[in-house]
Amino acid sequence: MRNQDRIKAVLTLSPSIILIGLFVYGFIGNTFWISLTDWGGVAALAVNPVKNYAGFTNYIDLFTGFLGGGFRQDLVNAVYYSVMLLAGAIGVGMFLAVMLDSKPKGEAFFRTVFLYPMSLSFIVSGTIWRWMLSPQGGVNILPEYAGLQPFTFRWLSSTGSILEFNWQNLLEIAIYLVSAVLLIIGLRLFAKTPRQSLLWLIPGIALGLFAWLGGEMLPKALFMEETHGFNKATFGIILATIWQYSGYTMALYLAGFTGISQDLRDAAMLDGATTASYYRHIALPMVKPITISAVIILSHISLKMFDLIFAMTGPDNGQTGHPALNMYLTTFRANDFARGAAIAIILFLIAGTFIIPYLVSSYRQRRGKP
Amino acid sequence: MAQVELKKVIKRFGSTEVVHGVDLFIEDDEFIVLVGPSGCGKSTVLRMIAGLESISSGEICINGQSVNEVAPKDRNVAMVFQNYALYPHMSVYENIAFSLKMAKESKSQIKDKVQQAAEILELTPYLQRKPAELSGGQRQRVAMGRAIVRQPAVFLFDEPLSNLDAQLRTQMRMELKKLHLKMKTTTIYVTHDQIEAMTLADRIVILKDGYIQQIGSPIELFERPVNRFVARFIGNPPTNIIPASLHKHDGRTSVRMGTLSLPVVSPPAGADSQQVLVGIRPDIIKTGDGLHSLPDEWQVQAEVIVSEVLGGQSLLEFSAGGTTMIAELEGRVQARPGEMITLGFDLSRLLFFDPRTEEAIY
Repeated sequence: MRNQDRIKAVLTLSPSIILIGLFVYGFIGNTFWISLTDWGGVAALAVNPVKNYAGFTNYIDLFTGFLGGGFRQDLVNAVYYSVMLLAGAIGVGMFLAVMLDSKPKGEAFFRTVFLYPMSLSFIVSGTIWRWMLSPQGGVNILPEYAGLQPFTFRWLSSTGSILEFNWQNLLEIAIYLVSAVLLIIGLRLFAKTPRQSLLWLIPGIALGLFAWLGGEMLPKALFMEETHGFNKATFGIILATIWQYSGYTMALYLAGFTGISQDLRDAAMLDGATTASYYRHIALPMVKPITISAVIILSHISLKMFDLIFAMTGPDNGQTGHPALNMYLTTFRANDFARGAAIAIILFLIAGTFIIPYLVSSYRQRRGKP
Repeated sequence: MAQVELKKVIKRFGSTEVVHGVDLFIEDDEFIVLVGPSGCGKSTVLRMIAGLESISSGEICINGQSVNEVAPKDRNVAMVFQNYALYPHMSVYENIAFSLKMAKESKSQIKDKVQQAAEILELTPYLQRKPAELSGGQRQRVAMGRAIVRQPAVFLFDEPLSNLDAQLRTQMRMELKKLHLKMKTTTIYVTHDQIEAMTLADRIVILKDGYIQQIGSPIELFERPVNRFVARFIGNPPTNIIPASLHKHDGRTSVRMGTLSLPVVSPPAGADSQQVLVGIRPDIIKTGDGLHSLPDEWQVQAEVIVSEVLGGQSLLEFSAGGTTMIAELEGRVQARPGEMITLGFDLSRLLFFDPRTEEAIY
């Protein structure tokens, strides 16, 4: 009987296992294999294209090659885009959720209003926002209604950038980042277990000093100077994405807040908490799993963003590029399949660094482990 | 230390009035228990005192100051909730320290006070644990620790023991009583359990449907209930209430229940043949050795319906003169159904109620 059950289970599951294995994991593997070849160029679309093993040439080219500057700026854009989308959508969503959590009149109406943008296609919202952010219309002429001078900021076509850094110093910057992470963890541990925190603080300080004193001696990522930064033209796109997704984070937080028992709020009020300190000390720490989910979901959305950028600034805008867009153009317009596959794998790995820890922790929680 | 006064306090939810003009004066250091069945408004009254519920009309004063417009945190009251309302993400220490942290006390002061509270409640070994890692009784003590650490003027308890098992409840009840004797803080305690009310209270307030039925010491309520509801609510098993009539003959009064007629020691005011409800507490019925102290005419023959032995006491359901009653007898009375048994009534403790108004008649 048990054996029979097992056979039935295997038979039931095998179609999906085979299909997922083939079409998801098989194709990831195939993409990785292609990224290690030189498939591309004029004969790329031949019936039996030539694919020679080329090792990690494509990856090395993307990060340190003479012609990879566009991709590198796209990658930097993606990082700034993710960070600002996370901060914006979580911040605005949390604020709206806190407002609606106090059950104002028309709460259900506002909830729908705030959540509604999420139901729009990116192409639709992208088109609307392109109009709203046009240089001589939309948002920019709003002050004129109050008799003031119009804004002159070119939301989608500015050319300047801020927070610039030299790509040559990539290794040095990476070491500084690792050092900062170690120091932050060490300082957070310091209050609880001072001895253990030293295990984090000492390497952190050492790495920081090393990068500071010996940064000049570190190998350069490029042979020439190449500055990248936060392109001001991406600001409009970030704004549109925040608009579209803050309702979603609001819904996540609101569900979390509603799940907190009224008694806890009452207890906090009697304990002397103000509304602000209630959210700071009680409600937000209790909905931490929601914050983590929101970070994961938003970061992978920002990493694969394509259609909104396509609709707002077009595929060929060098200022507002994004690796996902770059991957499409490299693969299907330039027919450089191997390099496109390499970009895809890089995006896949970055997304993995966000999602895998989340999956591991939620799997552990389900198994009842701490 | 504080006096609490409620003056004609009314609470309405929408158009429904749930508390109808409650007047109550609570003395310094007094332990007051609000008791009543579900939905009687006792928790609402407590929440209004805490400031968690607004007052539709009337006034609540703490130490003579009206607190109608004072925020909960500024009323200097602490509350223990039925489900404890511990902050799940904080350790026991952080839970107890939270109110002090909000009051911006110094770290060393907080540490001292939390440790002191933890010692009183024997929580010291658990200070670093999260609420989820504690047993029900320990959580209950953390909730109390959170209340006492602030040294509030008034303690409010909202059915704090109802989530505990019977044995733990008895133990925590004792501890609560001891804590009150030690802390000497005005305490208002809500429960639906009349045993908690009887054992803990200096005075009990009985509520029903948003009206105060009676205020008094536990013994007062037990011996002189003002109406049928109080007589039935206080005491377990509840008072037997039997329709009867009073008969006066030759200056002596007797009460007739079905075919059973018993003399009345202290007759209530009323005419001959007046219809009444007689309240017979199960513990005034005696058998065996208990019969010696009772005159012969206070004794009757009764038919056993069912008997239950509870260790040192027995519950007996019996029928006498066509009336069914429950008796709480001393000792182990093992009687078979249908058996005849001699029972005596301590007739000096009979209660009488008006059948129409259900008010007590003395």
